[in-house]
Amino acid sequence: MMVDVSFPLISILIAMPILAGLAIPLLFKNSQKYIIHYAILVALVELAITFYAYGLILTNGSGGEYNFIEGPVSIIGNFGIDYLVGMDGLSGPLVLITSILTLLVLFGSRDLIKDRKVLYYSMIFIFQGSIMGVFTQLNMILFYVFWDIVLIPMFLFIGIWGGPRKRYAAMKFFLFTFVGSIFMLLAFILIYFNVAPHSFNIPEVAGKIPLSLQVISSVLFFIGFGVKLPVVPFHTWLPDAHVEAPAPISVFLAGLLLKMGGYGFLRFNIGLLPEASAQYAWIFILVGIITMFYGAIVAIVQTDIKKMIALTSVNHMGFVMVGAFTGTVFGISGSIFQMFTHAAAVGIMFMLSGYLHEATGTRNITVIKGLKFSSPRLATLLILGSMAAMCIPIFSTFVSEYLVILGAIQVNTIYALIVAVPAITVGYFLWMLRRVVMSDQKPGSKKWDLSNISTLALVLYLVPLVLTLIAPWLILDVANPISIFYTSLVSGGAA
Amino acid sequence: MDTPIIVLIVLTSVAVTSPLYGMIFGKKSIKYVQYLTTFSLLVSLVLLISSTLSLTPQESTVPHLLRNDTLGSFFSLMVILVTLFVTITSFDYMKGNSNESIYYSLLLFTAIGMTMLSFAVDLLVIFVAWELMSLPTFILAGYNKQDKLSNEAAVKFFILGALSSGILLYGISLMFGLTGSTNLEVISQSLPSLSPDMLPFIIFSTVSMLAGLGLKLSIVPFHMWIPDTYEGSPTTVSALLSAATKKAGFAAAIRIFAIIFPLFYFDLSLALSIVALVTMTLGNLAALTQKSITRMLAYSSIAQAGYLLIGIVVLPYSDLGLIGLLYHSFNHAILQASAFLAAGLVRLKTSSSSLESYNGLSKVMPITSFCLALSLLGLAGIPPLNGFWSKLVLFAAAVDGGYTWLAFAGLINSAISVAYYLLVIKRMYMDETSLKAMKEPFVFVSILVFASAIIIVTGLLPNVLYDVSENVTMSFLTNNPV
Repeated sequence: MMVDVSFPLISILIAMPILAGLAIPLLFKNSQKYIIHYAILVALVELAITFYAYGLILTNGSGGEYNFIEGPVSIIGNFGIDYLVGMDGLSGPLVLITSILTLLVLFGSRDLIKDRKVLYYSMIFIFQGSIMGVFTQLNMILFYVFWDIVLIPMFLFIGIWGGPRKRYAAMKFFLFTFVGSIFMLLAFILIYFNVAPHSFNIPEVAGKIPLSLQVISSVLFFIGFGVKLPVVPFHTWLPDAHVEAPAPISVFLAGLLLKMGGYGFLRFNIGLLPEASAQYAWIFILVGIITMFYGAIVAIVQTDIKKMIALTSVNHMGFVMVGAFTGTVFGISGSIFQMFTHAAAVGIMFMLSGYLHEATGTRNITVIKGLKFSSPRLATLLILGSMAAMCIPIFSTFVSEYLVILGAIQVNTIYALIVAVPAITVGYFLWMLRRVVMSDQKPGSKKWDLSNISTLALVLYLVPLVLTLIAPWLILDVANPISIFYTSLVSGGAA
Repeated sequence: MDTPIIVLIVLTSVAVTSPLYGMIFGKKSIKYVQYLTTFSLLVSLVLLISSTLSLTPQESTVPHLLRNDTLGSFFSLMVILVTLFVTITSFDYMKGNSNESIYYSLLLFTAIGMTMLSFAVDLLVIFVAWELMSLPTFILAGYNKQDKLSNEAAVKFFILGALSSGILLYGISLMFGLTGSTNLEVISQSLPSLSPDMLPFIIFSTVSMLAGLGLKLSIVPFHMWIPDTYEGSPTTVSALLSAATKKAGFAAAIRIFAIIFPLFYFDLSLALSIVALVTMTLGNLAALTQKSITRMLAYSSIAQAGYLLIGIVVLPYSDLGLIGLLYHSFNHAILQASAFLAAGLVRLKTSSSSLESYNGLSKVMPITSFCLALSLLGLAGIPPLNGFWSKLVLFAAAVDGGYTWLAFAGLINSAISVAYYLLVIKRMYMDETSLKAMKEPFVFVSILVFASAIIIVTGLLPNVLYDVSENVTMSFLTNNPV
């Protein structure tokens, strides 16, 4: 049963952060003392609404269809552009992690962001609101609109608060993702004119797209979403952007921005172009496998811990890609689950790399030594975070990767070779831990450790990971109905 | 109510008399000339807005010369709006120049030419309006007579402008020879009955008219004068040239091509589509390498003409083409005017238009930087600003009209253009500066803010302008079936 509420829930989720963000320059023009309190309050309200919405979907088991539908409200009515939003089992977990991560990022920004706070916090909320728009928008053009609005805060984040090569990284990030999005837009326009009646609304065009157009569109979508995910060979913007971005923004980049690619693959390639996806699944899976191996292998040789985590992200996103295109319930659910867990697991690692830089003045793995002596809390969290990133079964990252591998094996036993990827990941993470944490202390190194609040905020990243390991149904009950639906679409296409 | 005639009378009465005030009352009268000019433009603007929005057919006193239709009102609305922006910002920009009252008078004469051109339905009236629009701009371009660049701009502009008028007139005379009339309606009736032997002459006449118009429309290969002229002239005049006169040229082009297109026995669309492709690509690639903002905006203006041309290419195949053309013309007029005027303010304050001088500008001139950034993002087509929606309609029209490759080329071009627009924003917001904070003149800045407000509001509520463009298109197409 579809769930609905009497108030415009999704519009509030989108509009409240954006309005709250736009209000910041007016409210905190003179004194920025309470800006962080305001920000956390807004994020908490948003989180509460998200929990409410997610809880309703979970308890009703209505992940297979769009809930809380609003619209269509005409934007350009005669040209098929309507405001139409809804939340299903695919958007649900992503909306949830968006709200959680924004709150956690705010805790991190408290310590690590010191200048131009007004612009920073207002951009955080514009970013959050537009990401919400991306995950819930059901009109393709407005999806594109939100997709592109996201780029502007991120461009400023990297370009203003970034590291030494921030300007280069910001430009590269913007150009790569914008060029990718253009291919996506062309596909949307092509779809519009090739379905009768002409429409940009996802529910209306689903199932009406002719196969020849599906093939063209899936190539165009592959470029558009592939840049974001990212898949090899479109990934080169990612290490630059991550290395230059401040730590809280890296959390956003890896935790939310990359998910836009994964969401796009599932929503458009699988949901709208199931026949083409079934026919050419092996190409996408192959690209996904190359992406994972590439990410894992290149990560081994990194000396910058942040770059290493960034490439781990690439490797984890390969799992999302493979899972999506297996066209099995295990694979698709696993892929949605993976997006959720990856956000938290990599989020804590990026934050830790930021604190590591605060503590030691460097992120170089070969230089930092004896962290267990100089900063015991940081060291403990680094070990726990690494375990999450390595998919050790005390965290639910294990469950999600396991599901993807299960789905892949179901399709073809040869895909079992992706089991090697977590093994490589464990290898380089352990090596990093041995050198950074378990080594002897350098003489004369200063003690520096996390404050109580920061420690608590970092532990909060691990809570959803442990919780969903104990109760994976929290995610899977929402994700499974939509996976079953997509699986039926894809297998219908193959038959 | 015959709006065009009233608007022309209002504007002419001020344009003719205002230099006299300067002569009679001396320098002190300049304030009144400024107010009078602004007032006459405001009156015209109100009249034109009401006539654009009115759906009932309007009467015309001289229907065979100036047709009082919504297409004309829409185009003259946008050119008058841009002229108004230019006039008000010139209060600050031209302060202390000699012969200021003549400057405003010339602006009004340009506006008169552009208004006439928007409504003209007779080839000779088109030509007269064309000259009336061009001649004052030649003088305006060379207004800083002590400045070598300004002189060069004017001379270059004048020689090529005169050449274009000649070519246009040649095309018109051929058309008159073929059909025995200069009235577009008569021509459209007699053209189909011509014997096929006359085809080479029709093509020749069309190409001549296209070349003549093309100089103002800034399409390749008639674009050579643009960067030099835009850079050399006073920046307010560049805004007028790029945002207004070009649009009036498009109005004439729509009227001429709408009657030539039904001659389906030669494929004008394909030829124009290649011109569009070359125009947008060359404009964008050249803009990437520029070191001065006015030159960069000049090339970007060329590229935008390429996008607009898509609308004419698909004119026979898709209604969306004309809708997109009108929609994008309006948006582009606002965006380009806002960008050029912001650049003008920076030039006024830092006396430089090189891109170097934009480093760290956001700390020195925050409002100007914000408005400039906004208009550049709009020109790049970043949603939700207005430029995105109209570009979207244009590219969709290309797909609808069977020119998917042109839509693809346009999208790739948008991606290229983002690079140079973004570089300016990067300079303004991320680079360091040694300059001290400057005072931003209130009147000038309020025009920029007003333009930015239009950019944002029409971006968030795109249906307003889309519906207007659609109504205008429909009423135009019912009278001139393509």
